[in-house]
Amino acid sequence: MQHNKIDAGIDVGSLSAEAVLLSDGGIVAYAIRRTGANPLRAAESCLQEALDKAERSRSDVRHIVATGYGRLRVPFAHREVTEITCHARGAHYLFPKTRTVVDIGGQDSKVITLNSRGEVTDFVMNDRCAAGTGRFLEVMADALETELSQLGDLSVEAKRGVSISSMCTVFAESEVISLIADGLEKKDIIRGVHESIARRIFRMTKRLRIRREITFTGGVAKNKGMVAVLERLFKTKLNIPQEPQVVGALGAALLAREMTRQAP
Amino acid sequence: MATIGEEEKISHRALKRVVRNPLTYWSLAPLMEIVNLREQSRAYKIWVRYLIWMMRSACSKRKKVIWMSAFTPVELAYAVGAIPILPEIIAALVSYLGWAPPFISIGNSMMSTDVCSFYRCALGLAVEGYLPRPDLIVSSSHLCDGANKFFSYLSQRYACSHLLLDPPYDTGPEAHGYVTDQLRYLLAHMVDLMAVSLSEEELCKVVGLSNTMRKYMVRINRLRMAIPAPFPGSEGLSYLAGMGFCSPGSTWGVRFSAILARELEDRVAKKRGYLDNERYRVLWLHHIRPYYQNDIFQFLSSQGVSVCFEEANYMYWPPFDPTKPLDSLAHKILSNVWAGPLERRLGAVKEMVNNYRVNGVIHFSHWGCRQSCGGASIIGDFLKDQGVPYMILYGDGADPDNYFPGQTRTRLQAFVEMLG
Repeated sequence: MQHNKIDAGIDVGSLSAEAVLLSDGGIVAYAIRRTGANPLRAAESCLQEALDKAERSRSDVRHIVATGYGRLRVPFAHREVTEITCHARGAHYLFPKTRTVVDIGGQDSKVITLNSRGEVTDFVMNDRCAAGTGRFLEVMADALETELSQLGDLSVEAKRGVSISSMCTVFAESEVISLIADGLEKKDIIRGVHESIARRIFRMTKRLRIRREITFTGGVAKNKGMVAVLERLFKTKLNIPQEPQVVGALGAALLAREMTRQAP
Repeated sequence: MATIGEEEKISHRALKRVVRNPLTYWSLAPLMEIVNLREQSRAYKIWVRYLIWMMRSACSKRKKVIWMSAFTPVELAYAVGAIPILPEIIAALVSYLGWAPPFISIGNSMMSTDVCSFYRCALGLAVEGYLPRPDLIVSSSHLCDGANKFFSYLSQRYACSHLLLDPPYDTGPEAHGYVTDQLRYLLAHMVDLMAVSLSEEELCKVVGLSNTMRKYMVRINRLRMAIPAPFPGSEGLSYLAGMGFCSPGSTWGVRFSAILARELEDRVAKKRGYLDNERYRVLWLHHIRPYYQNDIFQFLSSQGVSVCFEEANYMYWPPFDPTKPLDSLAHKILSNVWAGPLERRLGAVKEMVNNYRVNGVIHFSHWGCRQSCGGASIIGDFLKDQGVPYMILYGDGADPDNYFPGQTRTRLQAFVEMLG
């Protein structure tokens, strides 16, 4: 069977790696895997999984762009681009009216502003610690003995949010354990955890000139509870991609496609 | 057999003896010429020779030693025939050499870790006895908020007098008279406390030398407007700024700036940029950069981004009138764009953005520096209004433990992508 050629984007994050295959017609396939200790292996296996899903081979891929914290460890990529540019491109592709992207990934969170062409005009990132990131939620889920995937539903069901004052992941974990010991409702604590992250993200946005529409990307955007508290803070509905975790890889694939189009 | 702690003390004692022995600097000078300086520019060689001269003169006690804070006019020290030692500059050098962490640790045990790491490093150096002993300490209250407490503590420890210059926020005639009077008082006490002499003629001569250096610096800054950028900002923030802090009022400063101006004239005439492929030009805000081993500037260079100018070398004061030396120095202090109302600094930033035709601005926000952190966001808003891409790069100038290569690289790369 004759296939059109495709381009690929690979996002090697701290917790997960994603690959997106793109043809001229749109997204062909994608894959998501845990990064583990070897970013190169994660990138390779993730790309292979996406290729398998699309029933394609590596020879069908014209250009590959790598992004994410492990982007420098993908030697077979033709180019490496930061996740900031890639999330902006990906979000703009999915929601062309996007002017702000909130991305909460495994290890970092960022807010990006962009213009009508999807180009980054400004950005801020969290500094130095995991507060306000997916990893923060993972640690809190462990402390609450709750599945990560259930956090969102439980948060939405809560009557109120318990205030979590510690921003440090380690201290916040102790605080959550104390709150459980004090007999507070688990759902309310979970809502409090979400609100704590949302406030931190919202404070970051104060350093930028935020404009609507706002698109929420990264694995944490799958969490309904997080979406709800952010929408309350931003006082607007957020665009949530069908698979928010692959938006960075999609942006990388779009840049790979640009490379193909510009190639002589 | 010595224990680990004792071994450390012994090696410290031996090292201190080497650092404070003038013979070290007598032997270092010819050695540096052979080993280190052969490939370097003439201006850089003068900087190294100046440092050697400074340490040799201070350690041999042939001249009185005055510890001064970075923005105190060093012309006062040269006028009374003393050697100005700026502990913050020494801390930057120590950081550059990769020796800062143990001294910062000592500083951390005595000061809040929120205080600027240059002071914490300098405190470690001072209490461990690595700096030449001061005969007097003079500091100024403008800009660096850690300076006065730092110097006040050291004056008690070294049992020497501490004179304080206190420039006001305002800049009108009343403020000018107030600062001129303080300078007069300061000089009189310096003469008194150190039992040295001062003639009006000498003071005028020193201010004249500072003025000549200023003239060359203005020329250097004009030459640096050339495209491609003839001189790297990383060096502008190291030895060029270092000479700007330490040498005004000395013949060293005049020689250094005259030679650098000539070197740059030559480079500009040959259209020789410091990068082969200058794609974008960036202005660096703040007086400092990270001095320890880091790859910030190498990364920018690899992307074709030149740091074509840095505000550390912005000439903010008017030419001196050598017949009115104290009046002139008061003008210099009061026209400092990093003190007083932020509007002045905004005006200077705008001027630099236009003159150097930059594509973007990086504001290095040094941990513990209230002056830089306080203004960084407002400057950002101002530049964004002008359509100039801007990034605050959070970091630490002296402490390598606060450097996160991956995060820094991502921010810089995203900024470069934004320029494109």
